[in-house]
Amino acid sequence: MTPKKIDANGSHPDSNGGTGGTFTVRPDRHYIRTTWRSNRFVLVDVTAPAAPPRPADDPNARPPANLAFVLDRSGSMAGEKIRLAKRALEEGFARLKATDRFAVVVYDHEIDVVADSQPATPENRRRALARLAEVDARGTTALAEGWLRGAEQVGLHIAERGVNRVLLLTDGLANVGITDPAELTRHAAELRARGVATSTFGVGADFDEHLLGAISDAGGGHFYFIASAAQIVDLITGEVGETLEVVAPGTTIEVTHPEDVRVESLSPYRFSASDGRTAIALGDLVSEQHLQVVLRLNFPFGELGREVAATVAVTDGDGAFAGASGGSNSVTLLWAYADDRTNDLQPRDPEVDRVVARLFAARIREEATWLNKQGHFDEARGRVEAVARRIRAYAGRDPEMRQIVADLEGERAMWAAPMSAMELKVRHFASSSMARGRDEYGRAQRRK
Amino acid sequence: MTVTDYSLPELASLAGVTPRTVRYYIAQGLLPSPARVGPGARYGDAHLARLRLIKQLQGEHLPLAEIRARLATTPANDLLAYGSRSQTSPAARASESAVDYIRRALAGTPPVVSALQSNVPSASAAAPAASATAPFTSALLPSMPAPVPMSLDEPDETLPAPLTEPARSQWDRLALTPDIELHVRRPLSRPLNKKVEHLIRLARQLLEEDQP
Repeated sequence: MTPKKIDANGSHPDSNGGTGGTFTVRPDRHYIRTTWRSNRFVLVDVTAPAAPPRPADDPNARPPANLAFVLDRSGSMAGEKIRLAKRALEEGFARLKATDRFAVVVYDHEIDVVADSQPATPENRRRALARLAEVDARGTTALAEGWLRGAEQVGLHIAERGVNRVLLLTDGLANVGITDPAELTRHAAELRARGVATSTFGVGADFDEHLLGAISDAGGGHFYFIASAAQIVDLITGEVGETLEVVAPGTTIEVTHPEDVRVESLSPYRFSASDGRTAIALGDLVSEQHLQVVLRLNFPFGELGREVAATVAVTDGDGAFAGASGGSNSVTLLWAYADDRTNDLQPRDPEVDRVVARLFAARIREEATWLNKQGHFDEARGRVEAVARRIRAYAGRDPEMRQIVADLEGERAMWAAPMSAMELKVRHFASSSMARGRDEYGRAQRRK
Repeated sequence: MTVTDYSLPELASLAGVTPRTVRYYIAQGLLPSPARVGPGARYGDAHLARLRLIKQLQGEHLPLAEIRARLATTPANDLLAYGSRSQTSPAARASESAVDYIRRALAGTPPVVSALQSNVPSASAAAPAASATAPFTSALLPSMPAPVPMSLDEPDETLPAPLTEPARSQWDRLALTPDIELHVRRPLSRPLNKKVEHLIRLARQLLEEDQP
């Protein structure tokens, strides 16, 4: 197959022709400098295909789901929270079929496997709910072991072509067993590499949003902030629904480039780079999910007139993106070395600039919540100011980018003073969801 | 793996060599001929893998004859693997199952860590750096998402590193025509680089009629 060649000034002309996934690739600028290292941004706009319509009773209608629900039953969960968490599981179960599997683990300082991983038959679901009804809130929070025991249940029955995921719900801090955030995050990444993903749900004001966010990032799942117990049922059943609608498992952007060009994902996805290939792991995409991913390419200096190419491809475990771009699944972009004047005067793609600015703003706000929480108030304000200045430098007269700058500048005083735990969580969640292309409730965004 | 083929300029720019170099290697028998000949010639991932291997062997200062001998004894599959060795799936990289990993983690024995976190700062090394006094960067914080290991507000363009490390300099061969080359040791200072650019422009104007 022939890669579609396009001028780095324009967007890729092909759009959705059939039922497969599609993507477009747009660079912000065409020229790079001969005597400086240049950063250039590339916007990769990815849309997953729609799930094919199939009769509801067809057992092969979708890949099987292999889930473990891990619930915090520590003392602070007493009352409304544990009651609603149980109801969320009941509603989540109702969406599973006998070809799916589920397990239920509850934890405080002890770990109780309420239901081993088992097929989601009506009888098994009924029995598990009856056992769950006897679970009360008590004790402390052995988050790590509870989570890992849930992951073990998923790991025992990995569905090769299905979705294997732990849903971890907590309202507190890990205070028994492994509590080091770095170690927990590493476990999440290692489990993901072994086929078990983790999504996290934090309830109320007392959990660690940066830890749960890092576990779901590293674990290839999603993070949800549940501000009030009333949202528990909707958000858990929503995540169960997403696992049942995965159409492009393990979606990855692959960039092939000269070895002296450095490629990174500015969007907060894990990526690995070696030998002129950089792979950005977007995770499992659901039916018609839409993501905008920003890459940053750092070019070395080079001789005037020489062209540099990079090829962008989107792949996944089900071939949902085969032929996504005019019969091929790759697009080749070209940049040209030019003198400083040509570089200074070259046109920019304002749409790419806007996406980059939104992403910069979201990521710096996410960082600022962490700094503020640690008491680094001046640094939080200083870093937000620096990003505002940076966006202002290329915003020109664009109203949207000027508004982003104005918003960041308007928040300076806020970041420089202590904020409440709840306010930090609200702002952390809003910015982390935005940077990951998810909506205000943390849900996947779909092609409208 | 991506099914892709490349034109000559694409192949050359992906491998970081000039088209002329590619033609030279083909003429020297270091690279197989393309599927078609002429302006529509197409090259594949095997060509790219082989080109990168040649570049690496040249970096080890091996003479072309020695490189040719080594290529002749390397099976084609290994070559392709060389070009795509970062393409292993997560499952293939993991050396043990999720269940084994979890049981070892819970037993307190350090599990075997796979190499998947190449872009992720080592979490254990990062922990002390996240202290209150350390300057903040997202790369140093284990509890932050791991993505971009440099500061977000980095300027668009940065000056090349100062020329204090002669070991890092390299000779670039700039083809002015198929028969005339200019050799430049990089990096150059900015003013000198400007002069070289000027020289290339003048030379190309002068020699234009000889361009293929």
